[in-house]
Amino acid sequence: MPGLCTFQRSHSLFSNEIHAINSGVSDSAITVDSLEKSFPRAYSGWRALLQPFAAPSSTALRGVSLQVSPGEAVALLGTNGAGKTTLLRILATLLIPTRGTAIVAGFDCARDPKAVRRNLGYHAGSDLGFYARLTGAENLRFFGRLNYLSDSFLRTRIPSLAERFELGGALDRQVRTLSSGTIQRLSLVRALLHQPKVLLLDEPTRSLDALAAADFRRFLKAEVLQRQGTSLLFASHTLPEIETLADRVAILKEGNLITVDTPAALKSKAGTDSLEEAFSRLTGHSARSLEEFAC
Amino acid sequence: MMRILRDVLLFFERDLRIASSYRGPIVLELIEALFGAAMFYYVARFVDSPQLREALPQGTSYFAYSLVGFAFFDYLNAAVDCFERSLEEARDTGTLEPLLVTQVSLPVVLIGSSIYPFAQTTLRVGVYLGWGSVLFGFPLRSANWLAVVVVLIATLLSFSGLGIFSAAYLLLFKRGNPAKWFFLGVSSVVGGMLFPVSILPSWLQVVAHLNPVTYALDAMRAALLEGASLAAIARPLVVLFVFTLTLLPSSMLVFSWALQRTKITGTLSHR
Repeated sequence: MPGLCTFQRSHSLFSNEIHAINSGVSDSAITVDSLEKSFPRAYSGWRALLQPFAAPSSTALRGVSLQVSPGEAVALLGTNGAGKTTLLRILATLLIPTRGTAIVAGFDCARDPKAVRRNLGYHAGSDLGFYARLTGAENLRFFGRLNYLSDSFLRTRIPSLAERFELGGALDRQVRTLSSGTIQRLSLVRALLHQPKVLLLDEPTRSLDALAAADFRRFLKAEVLQRQGTSLLFASHTLPEIETLADRVAILKEGNLITVDTPAALKSKAGTDSLEEAFSRLTGHSARSLEEFAC
Repeated sequence: MMRILRDVLLFFERDLRIASSYRGPIVLELIEALFGAAMFYYVARFVDSPQLREALPQGTSYFAYSLVGFAFFDYLNAAVDCFERSLEEARDTGTLEPLLVTQVSLPVVLIGSSIYPFAQTTLRVGVYLGWGSVLFGFPLRSANWLAVVVVLIATLLSFSGLGIFSAAYLLLFKRGNPAKWFFLGVSSVVGGMLFPVSILPSWLQVVAHLNPVTYALDAMRAALLEGASLAAIARPLVVLFVFTLTLLPSSMLVFSWALQRTKITGTLSHR
């Protein structure tokens, strides 16, 4: 297919990278090497009892290799089922890869998940995940304490982030009374509370209105990426968001990493000045399917 | 160790805050406990007979006997059920994954989430016994409270293993553990909740003596109703200790394995 280049590193991690992993120090914020993830098929009825022991049969990631440098923002772009969420969930230690390695802040996600979580902020893109009968502040304090943040730190950190995300009123209200956009902002605050070195965001602005989304992007760019030097790997279906935030874009198709490059280089590679068109040409997806996934 | 204790208390504080946001149920529970104690009192009066008194430990009324049995089963139920229930709630409210990306491990989440149900059961049982004592002459004064607390802790520890097995079952199969209900059902008959094991057919008495619930309940009644010393209830305590040593580590191992499997199969938050 013209313009389609397969990005698959067959070589393993370099020896100095392996040393870095063992010592918990690495030049990369995220290193994904030959990562594969397969899931067993879903059984129903009495066969569901065999589910935990079923052999993997459907492949979500096929030998993906990717590096994210400190302070860099990389976007994951692909249609539904391309493997974006699976990759983020492996890095968040919620899934164990079938093969290959995933390293976050120098720690192996499968072997040292606790150390990974210490350095990680994760937002799953959902407006669930809070205790409905607790207030926004009580929820944030609870999750902050589970990350061993002191009460005195939380007393200043929560209001300052809440002000930045315009959550002032929501802090004192029970979560069950908040809109889904507000809960999503609360979830983003939770991911940022402990000033993680690496931030994983799955569709971070999905439930936000246009103004809140633009404001969030500005905050992410100026405060989190540029000032704090946090590394960001995020999945998004919003192409303007990707162009605003991402230093590089990793395009996934059916579990394969098709290419990873700067938005400008992708457009140049595809011979177009639109990221949408570049995505379409590089993946072979029609413009129609692109519209469908963007909705 | 201090860190685990701190984490566990965080979960207790969370559950206390959630519970305090529902004010009505606490008052209703107090009233329900009054009617519960009254029910046992009047059933005891109704069934009282020389034959019944002969089957019970000396000096024990059927009211006191059945109320202790009922209260004990409340604890047993909490121990066997609370781990699975807290996991189910975390999964259904979507808080399971946010919890799992914090520094705290899932076993600590489960243990932390079990403290409030145990405290709540203690309060409920206390209210039952309090109503029973104030209104219906339940003999609280004869209790050896140190022995009561020791039996209670031994019981909770030993049967929590079954609860953790149930949580592992829920993780793997996405449904409640049927063996839990089987165990509770069998134990309510052969464990001596409402009647002495001695009235059962001989083959059921054999089953009863293989069931640790029988020993735990005997020890609890002896401590609470007869003021038995720790030395006097050493045998059932040893049985519970052996049960704890066997069940608790093996259930934690199975739970860790189940968690790994769900991370492999990608079914962690599936319902």
